[in-house]
Amino acid sequence: MTMRVPRRTLFAFIGPAVFALLLVGVVPLGFAVWRSFYYFNLTKLSESRFVGLDNYAFVLTDPVFWQAMGRTATLFAVAVPVQIFLGLTIALVLHRPGLGFFKVLARLSLVLPMATTYAVVGLLAQVMLNQKYGVINQMLGWIGIDPINFIGDPTNAFIGVIIWDIWQWTPFVALILLAGLSTVPPEIEEAAQLETKSNWVVLRHVQLPYLIPSLVAVLILRTADTLKLFDMPFTMTRGGPGSATEFIAILIERVGNRQFDIGMASAQSIIMLAITIALARLYIRFFYREV
Amino acid sequence: MKFKKQVSVLALTAGAAFGMSGTAGAWTLEEAAKPYAGTELEVLFLDRPGYAAAIKMLPEFEAATGIKVNQTTVPYENALGEQVRDFVAGGDIDIALIDLVWIGNFAENNWIVPIDTFTADPALTDPDLDLADFFPLTLNAFGGWNGKTYGLPFDNYSGLLFYNSCMLKDAGFDVPPATWQEVMDTYGPALTKDGKYAYALQSKRNETQSADSFARFLWPFGGSFLTADFKSNLNSPESQAGLQFRQDLMKFMPEGIVAYDHSEAVNALAQGDVAFITEWSAFYSTLASPETSTLGDCLAVAPEPTGPAGRKPALGGFSLAVAAQADDNEKAAGWLFIQWLTSKANAGTYLELGGVPARQSAYADPALAETYKFIPALVESWQEGVPEFRPRFAEWPSVTEVVQEWGTKMMLGEVSVEEGARTIGERMEGILSQAGYYDGKKPLAQ
Amino acid sequence: MAAPVQSKNLWAEGVLLVLICTFCIFPFYWMVTTSLKTQVIALQSPPLWWFTPTLANYWEVLFEDKVGFALINSMIVASCTTALAVGLGCPAAYALARFEFRGKKDLWFWFITNRFVSPVVLAFPVFLISRDLGLRDTHMALILMYLTFTLPIVIWICTDQFRSIPKELDEAALLEGASQWVIFRRICLPLAMPGVAVSAILSFIFSWNELLFAYILAPKNAKTAPAMAVTFMEGYSVPFGKIMATSTLIVIPVLIFALLASKHLVRGLTMGAVK
Repeated sequence: MTMRVPRRTLFAFIGPAVFALLLVGVVPLGFAVWRSFYYFNLTKLSESRFVGLDNYAFVLTDPVFWQAMGRTATLFAVAVPVQIFLGLTIALVLHRPGLGFFKVLARLSLVLPMATTYAVVGLLAQVMLNQKYGVINQMLGWIGIDPINFIGDPTNAFIGVIIWDIWQWTPFVALILLAGLSTVPPEIEEAAQLETKSNWVVLRHVQLPYLIPSLVAVLILRTADTLKLFDMPFTMTRGGPGSATEFIAILIERVGNRQFDIGMASAQSIIMLAITIALARLYIRFFYREV
Repeated sequence: MKFKKQVSVLALTAGAAFGMSGTAGAWTLEEAAKPYAGTELEVLFLDRPGYAAAIKMLPEFEAATGIKVNQTTVPYENALGEQVRDFVAGGDIDIALIDLVWIGNFAENNWIVPIDTFTADPALTDPDLDLADFFPLTLNAFGGWNGKTYGLPFDNYSGLLFYNSCMLKDAGFDVPPATWQEVMDTYGPALTKDGKYAYALQSKRNETQSADSFARFLWPFGGSFLTADFKSNLNSPESQAGLQFRQDLMKFMPEGIVAYDHSEAVNALAQGDVAFITEWSAFYSTLASPETSTLGDCLAVAPEPTGPAGRKPALGGFSLAVAAQADDNEKAAGWLFIQWLTSKANAGTYLELGGVPARQSAYADPALAETYKFIPALVESWQEGVPEFRPRFAEWPSVTEVVQEWGTKMMLGEVSVEEGARTIGERMEGILSQAGYYDGKKPLAQ
Repeated sequence: MAAPVQSKNLWAEGVLLVLICTFCIFPFYWMVTTSLKTQVIALQSPPLWWFTPTLANYWEVLFEDKVGFALINSMIVASCTTALAVGLGCPAAYALARFEFRGKKDLWFWFITNRFVSPVVLAFPVFLISRDLGLRDTHMALILMYLTFTLPIVIWICTDQFRSIPKELDEAALLEGASQWVIFRRICLPLAMPGVAVSAILSFIFSWNELLFAYILAPKNAKTAPAMAVTFMEGYSVPFGKIMATSTLIVIPVLIFALLASKHLVRGLTMGAVK
């Protein structure tokens, strides 16, 4: 239950935080919107001019932009289900009783991938997936598969990004689902386990309802993070070979940092932001319990 | 006509320098630098042999002048962006590192200072400056734009053919390929077998694609980026022949060549996986050192193969220029540094430490060719190069993005050579049109 | 029921657990071992698993390549932004948990969506703005910009935490005439310490790991560790050993923090979404 307080108190508590976020979140955003209506190129500042909605028109009809969005969506569509499947399996195993020491060890190991600096994951991927010097190819050789060219082949590079995304975030999914499983009342679980030997039945009828909030949380967060994905592909392939791993954030960075067309990059960013907010609103409105 | 203006500027400068030295008494660096002792200079360096050599020379400069040079190492990929952002934001870079393709950009934005500002001042100018001693191609292409000289050539490259003479000998070849056609017809097939390849062409989707991969197969075949009136020349029969040649040559290259940057190509040769590469001269030290290469005595160097239009080796290089945003003390100190680093007197040291100077006098001694096997090929290559190997105008950053994207698409087979060239041509013309080249607003300089 | 069936299941589980641990840890193992290789050893194909290690890479990277400097910058930025986020976020979280006011839902939603915004949207405008304010390439610029994701984390977790503190304590204090501020500081904050600690650790981790803002806003003087990692992407030579040494140095602090907070890490990352 909450209470009403004098305005002054309210502002004192909330004011500073709001002010700070306005400063660092809203002001730059406003600036980006303003700039998106201009032709604004860092190497041609003298030629800046108002172009209205031209940048937006260009971006919305630009196949390069939509291809990047498409790649981002594909990554999401492939990686997340795998993460959920593997994560669920791991969570179920960890949820069972027994083998306490190993379970603790496993839980601690699971923490490591998600805390790793994303840029480092990309560099690590480069080293491990190297066609000649990489250990992954060495291990594939042990089971008789020829060395695969990961970084140099468009499809394989994309798959490489997916693999590392799975490596980094499956533990996260596993831990969330584990937390979700722990909300299942133990009595119901035990009762169900006594009634049927089939794990599948227990999962579907007893545990699943309690897992739904966790699954939704996973969806929300993975959507947002995939749209933001930058560091790992950037250090792994820089968007290459060709444009095979150019996700939306990488495209915008390239337009802003290599072509120096800040007006265009701003328009692209605003469009991406609109999509992000729309999705976030949708998810939270429908699925999330509000304050 | 550009060249004549160049010569006259040089003559004037040389004359001024000569004239003054007679009256002022011996010019020394220490004397000239006295007013600027304690100044600190900021410059960006790359992680390459030439810069490592320069870094070793810095203490000597500081000891003699009291001027401290602070360098920050960045990857080439970031160097343009960092400098552009610094200049736009009014930062503290005092000396600009200029890749030859950036000079139009920097000059037109007035971010760099022409050297005649300094050469007109006898107190600052070394009488031994001798601009004529630079290979004209390098001074013109790396440091000059639209008739003015802005920078002095510092980190200089030519494309050279590095090859594994042992591998060639085993396949029955006593000499390296002299023409690209030979590569396609005899060397390629003979050397591509048993997991080894004949040739590796670095083609990664960044400036490497434009400079090393795309341009390299235009000029020797008689093609070029632009016609005389700045329209696209990429669909001319010569350009098409060259680009198609590159496409066909890919069967003698390792798979995944499109992801090969310099390090991968150099490594391929160094570890014995390919028979030859056409790479920048600076890699000589990497290929010769036992710490990074297994070649040993099998390493040999020759000028790049010729095409139907002759030998047009890849041209690349960086000059150092004084940044316009520096204050007066920093500008003068910066000039003294640039002048010293690229001077005739220091060229020998620079060469020994692993750099590649652009001074003709540095290579005069025939004995040097014994120690540095790349010298004869380099000197020959710099006689024949094309300054506009890649157009150096201000629009190059945008144009190169297009070339990189579609050049790699061509190589990956995602688009045909003809179609890819046409797309590049259209977009390039779009960029140039917007910049005003076609309605006379801008002079046709590249 | 039967003992053999149980033990067979146990074996299968055990194997799976070992697999999980290996899968998670192996890349780190590879990272550290590669960092101890000289370039010659690193360029062996197939890669060597047994070799003479060297600390030369670490030495070079820390002192010659200024990675040590970058680590210090990261430490400064991450600590300051965490402190700032906690200082600003806790009172705000308390207000969201305890006070009633119009527009609370929308305010809450706004706080949250900041976490979903990609840095790439803000990076270029901030670059231009920071030029005008003279904040370019300073720790301050990064510290402020990192608030866009650290503040939401603190607010989310702490709001939850405050809400779970029983109201009776508050009410008792109110009857005695205490002000909201006193209640907050003396009663609720101490009780909310676990949540505050977790959100602080998470803020630290995310700030430490951030790349894009650092890369664009702080190229030299305030260069942070992840931005340093990018420096080795020069196409000229790829010094595997040095790259991995840098990587190891970059991730060690965050891994330690993550292990410390491991129990609460998930909750923080989902920001209380799992209920």
